Amino acid sequence: MNQAVTAPVLDLSTCDKEPIRTPGSIQPHGFLLTLGADLAVLQASANLGDWTGVAAIDAIGRPLAFVLGDVAAHKLASELVPELGPRPLYVGTVTTPNGRHFDVLAHRWDGVTIVEFESVDRAEPADFRHLYPLIGDFLLKVNDASGIEALAVLACQHIRSVTGFGRVLVYRFDADGHGHVMAEARDERYHAYLGQHFPASDIPAQARALYKLSRIRLIQDANYTPAPLVPALNPVTGQPNDLSFAALRSVSPVHLQYMRNMNTLASMSVSLMVKGRLWGLISCHNEGPTPVAFEKRTACEQLGQILALCIESREDAADLQFRLEVRRTMVAMLAGLTQGSDFIENLSHVFPDLLRFARASGVAIMIDDRILTYGDTPDQDDIQALVDWLTLHDHGDVFHTDKLSALYPPAERMTRNASGLLAMPISRIHKHYLLWFRAEYVHTIEWAGNPHAKSIAVTDAPTQLSPRTSFAAWRETIHGTSQPWHEGEIEMALEFRTALLGIALERAEQMAELAEELGRANKELEAFSYSVSHDLRAPLRHIVGFADLLLESAGSEDAQQRQRFLKNIKEAARLAGKLVDDLLSFSQMGRASLHPTTVDMGELVTACVDKLALEGRGRDIEWDIGPLPTIWADPTFLHLAMFNLLSNAVKFTGQRDRAVIRVSCEDLPHEWVFHVADNGAGFNMEYVHKLFGVFQRLHRMEDFQGTGIGLANVRRIVERHDGRVWAESVQGEGATFSFALPKQTQH
Amino acid sequence: MLKPILLVEDNPNDLELTLIALSKSQLANQVIVVRDGAEALDYLHRRGEYASRPAGNPAVVLLDLKLPKVDGLEVLRNIRTTDGLKSLPVVMLTSSKEEQDLVRSYELGVNAYVVKPVDFSEFVRAIADLGIFWAVLNEPPPGSQRYVKPNK
Repeated sequence: MNQAVTAPVLDLSTCDKEPIRTPGSIQPHGFLLTLGADLAVLQASANLGDWTGVAAIDAIGRPLAFVLGDVAAHKLASELVPELGPRPLYVGTVTTPNGRHFDVLAHRWDGVTIVEFESVDRAEPADFRHLYPLIGDFLLKVNDASGIEALAVLACQHIRSVTGFGRVLVYRFDADGHGHVMAEARDERYHAYLGQHFPASDIPAQARALYKLSRIRLIQDANYTPAPLVPALNPVTGQPNDLSFAALRSVSPVHLQYMRNMNTLASMSVSLMVKGRLWGLISCHNEGPTPVAFEKRTACEQLGQILALCIESREDAADLQFRLEVRRTMVAMLAGLTQGSDFIENLSHVFPDLLRFARASGVAIMIDDRILTYGDTPDQDDIQALVDWLTLHDHGDVFHTDKLSALYPPAERMTRNASGLLAMPISRIHKHYLLWFRAEYVHTIEWAGNPHAKSIAVTDAPTQLSPRTSFAAWRETIHGTSQPWHEGEIEMALEFRTALLGIALERAEQMAELAEELGRANKELEAFSYSVSHDLRAPLRHIVGFADLLLESAGSEDAQQRQRFLKNIKEAARLAGKLVDDLLSFSQMGRASLHPTTVDMGELVTACVDKLALEGRGRDIEWDIGPLPTIWADPTFLHLAMFNLLSNAVKFTGQRDRAVIRVSCEDLPHEWVFHVADNGAGFNMEYVHKLFGVFQRLHRMEDFQGTGIGLANVRRIVERHDGRVWAESVQGEGATFSFALPKQTQH
Repeated sequence: MLKPILLVEDNPNDLELTLIALSKSQLANQVIVVRDGAEALDYLHRRGEYASRPAGNPAVVLLDLKLPKVDGLEVLRNIRTTDGLKSLPVVMLTSSKEEQDLVRSYELGVNAYVVKPVDFSEFVRAIADLGIFWAVLNEPPPGSQRYVKPNK
């Protein structure tokens, strides 16, 4: 097994500097002219004389007809309009006065019209008709192909039959730019490259950039002698011509050497663009020089486009399918998480799903300093240290790598189960992390030649590197990496995180709500205990006090006084009992949950009035009950509140000859406002703020009986319905108690 | 002529028990009874139905903590912030032992504090002690405080 040799950095950067767009020359299987707006020749390739008999130097400044003859020049003149774009267009096939035939391609770029003449052996325009069936056949078979590989093989076969190249292969680039040969069609005599990898450095960055713009390139004969442009500089720009789009563009001598090393004298490549990205290449090789006429190249370009479109749709479908699966797992997990109090604890209940979710071999949850693991993970201390490192280096929302040890050297010890890591914080406040581990995936890459050996063969020219000379299969064993994380997995992990944070947020809100409720309950409890110590103690003290007095006065003759002491004891005992009852109901009201439903307030008030009839026996009470709505509320509680208000009204009108009690309702846009008005004793508005407090009384005990809990209950009930309660009075003339309930829809 | 004792008590039972306790302590002072905090302030400020009473402060105010309308602490605050009433001895009467009440009362400058005991004879003794101290000894040095523990 070969050991990887570290290649000097120089290797890569030098190729990256090759001026591939401005080579200053063309391949000599045709000639090139640049024309000004008047179609006079600005530049000509030096090989012009070879093809036309007119020396390049003589052509400069002359009209097109001088070079091509009147017939050909006339034929082209109407096509060579300034509207030409940067993509070469076929503008016709012409015959020069010396009897040679050329396909003419024209495009406008860099301020000049670039006209290329490719030698053909026919006088007629290219006949595309024989190519249609080929493309049609490809399109037909596309639907039957089972996968991207099968499609690519199909494309290779078709391109081979169009061009006659000995070997056609499709390779796709991985994330690092290495090319993997995924499909191949070849003559038996050709060496197979299928399954092999070509290192990223084989295609320098600027070449990749150019491949995105110009979709097809042909090198007809690697042994060609470049034909320079005369003059060398574009007279419009004063710079070397940008030949990015020229079909005859001369290529880098390094590349030509590379081809010769590969024993390939002709090569063509077609870019496979998927979603604006250079997904891969269709690469064609032939041992001997191979002309490929424009129409055939066009057919190949179209095949490439169809293939790219198919790849795009298949990848989209596969990606969608994949994401769907992952999402399904996620939804199942989330469903399990929302139950129970501690959702992070809950995460540990869905460990198998968590593992499946990210196709991981181990998963760990870190909750502050506690770590829960499942599957094959590093040990606790290592996870702890890893999270410390993650926390220290901000990696955004999600951190992922398929080679952890390259970023975090201590991970070298744990490559076995933690070569790949997908990690994310799952709390904005706490040190809570979710980590997925992927085990090491030891695999062998079969390189088409040792990719690290490129620098070894340095030619005599010290500044120019020679490409590698061997393409014999060369195996490299890759350690310390895991299977890469799928983009969908990373995105879903982010989505999962958002969902977790959402749950956390919801939980926090629930907690806040709970805390608020607890706070309120606590405050009420304080008031309650305060009241218990005051008000509940009083009747007991009275009982004991009067009992003592009774004992003392035993035998005395004041029977009336003893009678009163006894009556006081009885009253105090009764009051103590009622206090306990009322306190109980009050505390229950704070705890019991509301069960809202539709409540007919008219019926509710009538029921209260019936119940109060007993209390008002023998009294003259006029009930004036207005139209009342049906509302959404807890009927039991609301009955209690209304009964309290009505019973107060009855109580405080006790000293009136004729009591008038009015119940009415206002229908406001957002709430119902109920009023209970009486013509009773009323109260002093100065003390209205105390009215609804527990055990608050505004009247003397002997004037109006009561424990001081009734209105506290009313307030509590109304507030639990998100309503408000208030009261108004003119002392001695009556009081109006009002409460507003928001108009709620059923939920 | 002895100054009267002002008793502020709303609960009729407590009122009767306190009056009995005061009568048992053999004090000669007149006892003026008011039934809530507002009425107490009316008396002290000589307004409302007390507008025409003769001038002069009571010897001591026996003030229930929990009163309708204006509670005992509010009455106390009013006394301590009113010129002419500031030095009036105030004894809080309540059934609460809660520290909170104690502290708040002392902050406002209560002179004594009686937690109404459940045992009536203790209550009589506490009231008697208080009465003797404040009503008979009459003129306390300004700012003097005394906490009468009822259980001794």
